[in-house]
Amino acid sequence: MKVKKLLAGALAVAMSLSLAACGGGGDAASSKPAASTPAASQPAASTPAAPADDVADAITVWVYPVGGWGDEAKVKPLIDKFTADTGIKVSMEWLAYADGDDKVNSALTGNNAPDVIMEGPERLVANWGVNGHMVDLADMIDATDRQEILPAALAAGTSTDGKVYLYPMFNVAHCMAVNYTAVKEAGAEANINLDTRTWTVEQFDATVKALHDKFGGTVAAVFCGGQGGDQGTRELIRNRYGTKLTNAEHTAYTWNTPEVINALTDLKNMPGIQFDASLQGGDEIAKFYQGVLKMAFCWNAAQQLDPNSAGTGEGKTLTGDEIVYMCFPTQEGKNPEEGSGVWGLGAFDTGDAARIAAAKQFIKYMCDSENCSQAGDISNFFSCRSMAEGVEIKSSNPLLVEYYGKMMPYMGEYYQITNGWAGARTEWWNMLQRVGAGDDIAATVAKYEANANAAAAG
Amino acid sequence: MANSSPLKMSRALQRRENIAGYLFMLPSLIFFIGFVVIPMVICIGYGFTDANMNSKTAATTFVGLRNFIDLWQDTTFLLALKNTFLIVVVSVPTVCLFSLWVGSAIYHLKGPVLSAFRCIFYLPVVTGSVAVTVVWKWMYDNYTGILNYVLKGAGLIEENINFLGDERFALWCIILILFTTSVGQPIVLYVSALGNVDTTLIEAAQVDGANDIQVFWKVKWPQMMPTTLYILVITTINSFQCFALIQLLTQGGSGTNTVMYYIYYTAFKLTEQRGHFGYANAMGVVLAIFIGILSAIQFKLAKEK
Repeated sequence: MKVKKLLAGALAVAMSLSLAACGGGGDAASSKPAASTPAASQPAASTPAAPADDVADAITVWVYPVGGWGDEAKVKPLIDKFTADTGIKVSMEWLAYADGDDKVNSALTGNNAPDVIMEGPERLVANWGVNGHMVDLADMIDATDRQEILPAALAAGTSTDGKVYLYPMFNVAHCMAVNYTAVKEAGAEANINLDTRTWTVEQFDATVKALHDKFGGTVAAVFCGGQGGDQGTRELIRNRYGTKLTNAEHTAYTWNTPEVINALTDLKNMPGIQFDASLQGGDEIAKFYQGVLKMAFCWNAAQQLDPNSAGTGEGKTLTGDEIVYMCFPTQEGKNPEEGSGVWGLGAFDTGDAARIAAAKQFIKYMCDSENCSQAGDISNFFSCRSMAEGVEIKSSNPLLVEYYGKMMPYMGEYYQITNGWAGARTEWWNMLQRVGAGDDIAATVAKYEANANAAAAG
Repeated sequence: MANSSPLKMSRALQRRENIAGYLFMLPSLIFFIGFVVIPMVICIGYGFTDANMNSKTAATTFVGLRNFIDLWQDTTFLLALKNTFLIVVVSVPTVCLFSLWVGSAIYHLKGPVLSAFRCIFYLPVVTGSVAVTVVWKWMYDNYTGILNYVLKGAGLIEENINFLGDERFALWCIILILFTTSVGQPIVLYVSALGNVDTTLIEAAQVDGANDIQVFWKVKWPQMMPTTLYILVITTINSFQCFALIQLLTQGGSGTNTVMYYIYYTAFKLTEQRGHFGYANAMGVVLAIFIGILSAIQFKLAKEK
């Protein structure tokens, strides 16, 4: 009996302790959220500086896989340098787009948010910012910064009440790409202007037809298996007849237009184009890279540098075909509006002044210091500022320089901060699925736009 | 006096044994209360509020039955409910019947052959659901999937079928995966249950002239009822809670939305929508009620049997 009691008691104590260990809670720097990838938190070999008394000595940074910032090996040296320079240790965690939002939302609900996060304004400003989870960074941006930072990027990082929830770091124009080798084999290279990278709808349609005639099957997919990479389908559809998907104030969705309906009708009826509900943007890129699809609508500079993140060389498919990035086609073949991608850093309001101070120091280091150039280079995108602390910021990679000259002038407005964006994105890909399934296009567009506006109204 | 002492002794012993029993139960009880009972109570409570993630800017208020009323006007929820019931109605009987058939066919096998069959059918259960799903995703692929390759090669189809992107096929494809991952445990349980059937009763029935079918339904089947009930209840609950396959394969698109996925989507994706936590919790309560009702019916029917 004694043994029984002892065993039972021991088990109960063990369970209670394990429960206590599972529990969160606590506050301040001692209760940092656990980082699943702590490798980058090691300080550099040299003796690190010590942070000021009112600055926490450790922070947690969560990063969405934005361009090269999704590659730990590329990011680690810069993080180590930050730790060496400031004495602030950094626990990095890389999120995936598939479930990153869930992790952040769960952390916010459990009062266990990271100190710093890297993503775009649709999350940092339109969602977490306006809902009171982020710190206003306006005090970090002085007159000089306002001159140096791209106005459009700064505007995207600022809420309607003037609070800066995202310190802009880098940006890119999302475009499309074609398998140029296949296009040449199909005898349609005359439609591709390698100088301007712009083309008319007529040239695009002719290229799809030529590729379809030559190779059969699906030339390109209007992917709608989820929200991943949905900027590609949005820009393809809205550029075709030239329209906006939201109002200028970013308070309502305006995609129930003849332009969108006509574009959807054209694409639905075009041999070689498939509305594919089994693919998202990432899947489409993979199929394009494998040579299965001959066009990709989810493309940008980082993809051109390293297609499918496969490390098999710039601008080449798996089989060595040449990839050419192109603007989305317009009726006139002029002035397309490419998808606007802006990313930056924001600080969560953890309620701990020392942690917020350390977070701001991290943001300053990455976005407004001589390190800004390196941070931008890692991304494979383009820095949102021309100068930082007297240092000119310019990419040295020839491909990026070319991309910058050809694509960035066409970057459209950042409308992803429209109210109810998360819900509206779902309505968009659901709408494409219904169009693909053969539902009446005008009625479908009207229905899903109404749903999106209901989401915008809260 | 002489009689009361042993009685006292026995009560003391009983009390000690009870205490020991409770102490042994304590660890699981802590987990059960901490991770099941308390969250369940919180979930029910939140179902009557407009709770949301953004409590800093939108305070939680009591909304009474509004969430529960709104659910029945929500076409997405109704479609998800319909899909969920379809999954349950199709997968529960097929899983049970198939498991019973396979169990009956292999339980009399000996040694390594039986173990091999058990391993084969149990493998999808112990393999991670993500790994299983990814393999199925490759097989179903619209462009390079082996299923399309085989069907085309056999001349059964001319154009590739978009298994996961076409609403005519997507839900059935998910039910097929669910089926393969659900049959392992019931087969092992049925093999075990059939092995434990009293052979003297079987022999007596055979001596009395019962044929194989009569022996099965009149002798073996009644003795397997507890196992069948367990399998029915577990398969029903698992089918109602079908989530991972939807999340990994279709994200609720192509007509595959289920209540579990819609709960997750509302709670963690629609964070900008006011009252999203409350609404998701209300859905959870409704789902739990349906599961409870169906399980109760199954218990009742099994008891009558």
